[in-house]
Order: sequence, then structure tokens, then C-alpha cells
Amino acid sequence: MASTTRCLASLARFSLSTPARPTVASTIPKFLVPSVAAPFVRHAGAGGMRKKPTKKKKTYKTFRSYDQSDVEQYSLCDAMRYLRAYEVGIPPTIAKYELAVKLKTSKSGPVVRNRIRLPFPVKTDTRIGVICPEEMAAEAQQLGAVAVGEERLFEAIRAGNIRFNKLICHVDSQDALKKANLGRILGPKGLMPNTKTKTITNDLKATVQELIGADEYRERNGVVRMAVGQLGFTPEMLSDNVKSFMSSLKYDIAQIDDSYTKALDEVVLSSTNGPGFSLDGSYAPTDSAITPEHLHSTM
Amino acid sequence: MVGVIRRMNKLSEKLLTVKHGPGAAVLPTEVARIHLEFAHKLNDGHMGPRKFWRQNLRRLKYWNPAIPMVVNRTHDQKGPATLSIYFREPGAPIQQDTPMPSSSNDGDAKAPPAADGERLVTINMKNRRSDEILKDFLTKTGAVPVKPTAQEELLMQEIEELKARGEVDRERVSKMVAHEKRERQIRAQAQAEAAAIKAAL
Repeated sequence: MASTTRCLASLARFSLSTPARPTVASTIPKFLVPSVAAPFVRHAGAGGMRKKPTKKKKTYKTFRSYDQSDVEQYSLCDAMRYLRAYEVGIPPTIAKYELAVKLKTSKSGPVVRNRIRLPFPVKTDTRIGVICPEEMAAEAQQLGAVAVGEERLFEAIRAGNIRFNKLICHVDSQDALKKANLGRILGPKGLMPNTKTKTITNDLKATVQELIGADEYRERNGVVRMAVGQLGFTPEMLSDNVKSFMSSLKYDIAQIDDSYTKALDEVVLSSTNGPGFSLDGSYAPTDSAITPEHLHSTM
Repeated sequence: MVGVIRRMNKLSEKLLTVKHGPGAAVLPTEVARIHLEFAHKLNDGHMGPRKFWRQNLRRLKYWNPAIPMVVNRTHDQKGPATLSIYFREPGAPIQQDTPMPSSSNDGDAKAPPAADGERLVTINMKNRRSDEILKDFLTKTGAVPVKPTAQEELLMQEIEELKARGEVDRERVSKMVAHEKRERQIRAQAQAEAAAIKAAL
């Protein structure tokens, strides 16, 4: 097109300068000349910069829930076996088992929120030291104590190496504690075990649990997440914790008004450094060579 | 939470790497417990032990969940890097509650002395590569390596294919994005020039 116009224009110049000579241009009918045949006329409102209809983003009222048929699910002991392998060599009071419970729920409306005292506490900002005879040291460590023992603990305290913020003493070690003369160090810190404050005890388990407070959980973005155990826990301990947490959660869901939909969707167990395993609610390991007792070993 | 299929793809890959690879071996019943001690940082020959812990010990732990494997990391770079293997003497009863400290990252979990009916074998890990350490460990313990099953090999292949496909897609998308970006730049430049001309008139 452009070439013809240019051509015609030059021819027109020719015709102006030399009118006597016949031109080729005159042989072309007028309607074939583009500028004449289709004059560029702008009509208001037609064509031009009309706005394209923008695609409207679909909004959902509920959090997305996926088809669970593709999910590989694991029993508690299987998941624990993998997670213990992932966390090998990490101090077991530092690494935690975490549970994420996905809910089928709307984005608005009430959320699940509560506090729970787990059968085996997880929290470690209360760090407990236990003065007890050496034969109980392992048990105390299993309960979550960061410093245990008798003479070695006294040595550590004298050296100023105090890594706990609560100190309890077993009745059997009471005399040793008195002989150790630690009142001047522990007294001002409020750490000195005392029968009045119930920090001298013969039931380590009950006292440790009492000292460690309740944990809070709440629903965020349709998922309730909570730490449910330390890596040093046995499968039985973890199972107890998971069960009590789940029953508490189910109770909370039942408390919510029926006009709001809220139901369990998926339960995923993971650990501080490990992957997440969707749990199927069973306990026993699938590998026949492994029993839950195999997962008791020190981490 | 992330979508199911993406999650499962990642998970199956992770589980296969913890199940198979160097270090996947079943230890004989004589091995009672294992203790590692090395420093936090890699200077002064602590790289090998660290790699051994990060890459091989996980697999060993997966296949031998009942054996305590304790890692004691110290802050003393000049200190030793030793792997202690505690063998149960033949005929000695299996003791579940031999005292063993749990892993520590500030040097608290020193290797305990061998208990009654135990034999202690140590491997010096300092200034050695992790594969050497593993080789030494496997020969000294007499561990039996684990081979992936046919099904697992198939799964590994699938994961490889998925990765290759992902690589192709990644390249395609990055090209597309780069092209779009260039076009946007050209358009912006042209508009700026047009504006300049208009302003000059």
C-alpha cells in the first residue's frame, strides 16, 4: 500500500511540473487510490483506545482444600523413624516434633483458639535443672531437664555455668545439696530448691510437668500449628501428646457455632529440620523389622 | 498449606535420599552404640566428620533406628574428631539402659567409657574425607549395604525425569520472562523518546 501512495505522490509532482505529458496516474480510477478510497476518519467511541475487559480474579470464601486421594499417609512410628533419621545428632531438647492440622473452614468467621497442658510438655523456655542421684539422671533427662546429676551439677553451678531457670531437687539428694553450700549462689537467683515452694520432691515427673506451663495454639490461615514433642520423646509419649491435642482441638471445633463450617482436613507431622508426613491415624510401624521400642534409643 | 502433588513430589525425593545412597547399611547386632565428636566449624580438619554426620549418619540412623547415635559438637577447633563404635562382646546381654548422654552442641556429651561386656573401637576422623570415614566405618563394623528395590529404582527414575522436565520448563519460562522484560523496556524507551519529541515541539 505504502509503495503505491509514494509512487502516486511522485507521479502527481510530475504531473504538476509537466502537465503536457500524459501520466500513468490518470489511468488509475480514483477509488483505488488508498487515501481517497478509505479516508481515515475517526468516529467518536468506535475503535481506538477501547479498554480491554480485564479478567476478574476469582475470590474464594473458604481456604482451599485439596483432594486427599493423592496424599501418601504414614503411621506415627513410620513418620517418627524418618524424622529421627533427619534429626540425628541434633540435641533432642532443641529439635521438636510439630503438628499442623489443616481445617476445612471459611476465611472469615470465628477461629479455633485455646491453650492446652500436654501430658508431656514441650516448651523449653522453662529450662529445668534436676538435682538427683546419678541413677535417675537419664529419667530426668528424658523428662526434659537440661542439667542433671548431683556432684557434676554442683560443680557447674560453682563454675557459674547455670543454663536452667528452674531448679528442683529429688528428696534423695537433699542432704548432698545441703552439704554443697550453694545457698549463696542460688539464693539470690531464687533457684534454691525448697520444700515450701515444692521444689524438693520425690516425684520428679509430676513436678517437672507442673513447672512447665501450658501451651497456646490458634488457627492461622486455616491451619492450627503446634509443637507436640521433643525429639527425645518415645513413640508412646508423642502419641499421648498428639491424641490429647487432637481431642482438645475436636472439642474446640464442636464448640463453634453450627452456622460456620469447620472440620478437620489433614494432620501433618513434621520436625524442626525434617519434612512433613501426613498421618493416617495409625500407630504401628509398617516395616515388620521395626518395633516401637526401636525408636526409644537416645538421640 | 502447599498443594498435594507438589508436596508429595518433594517428599518422595527426600525420603529416597534418606533411604538410599552412601551410608545406607544395616549394622550387625554387635554394634551397641555410636558416638561422634568433632568441632562446629570446618577449619583444622573438621570438614570430613561434619559431612559424614550430615550425609551418611542420617541413612545409618534410618536403617538402624534402635542404635543410639550421639553427636557431640565442641567449640574447640584444635580438639580431636573421633568416631567411637561400641561393640557388644559376643554373649553379653543386650542392655537397653546403658547410660548414654544425648547429643550436644556445646561439647557436653563426651564419649562414655565402654561398659561391661563392651569393646570400644575408635576411628580418627580428623583431616579425612567423609567417604574415607564411611569406608573405614563400614569395614570395621561389617555393615551390610542396602540396595534399593526395583520399585524404588523406578521411583528414582521418575524423579530424575521430573527434574529433567522441570529444567526444560525452567529454561523456557525464563526465556519468556526475559523476552517480556525486554519488550517492556523497548516500549518504555520509545514512549520516553516520543514524550521528549513532543516536549521539544
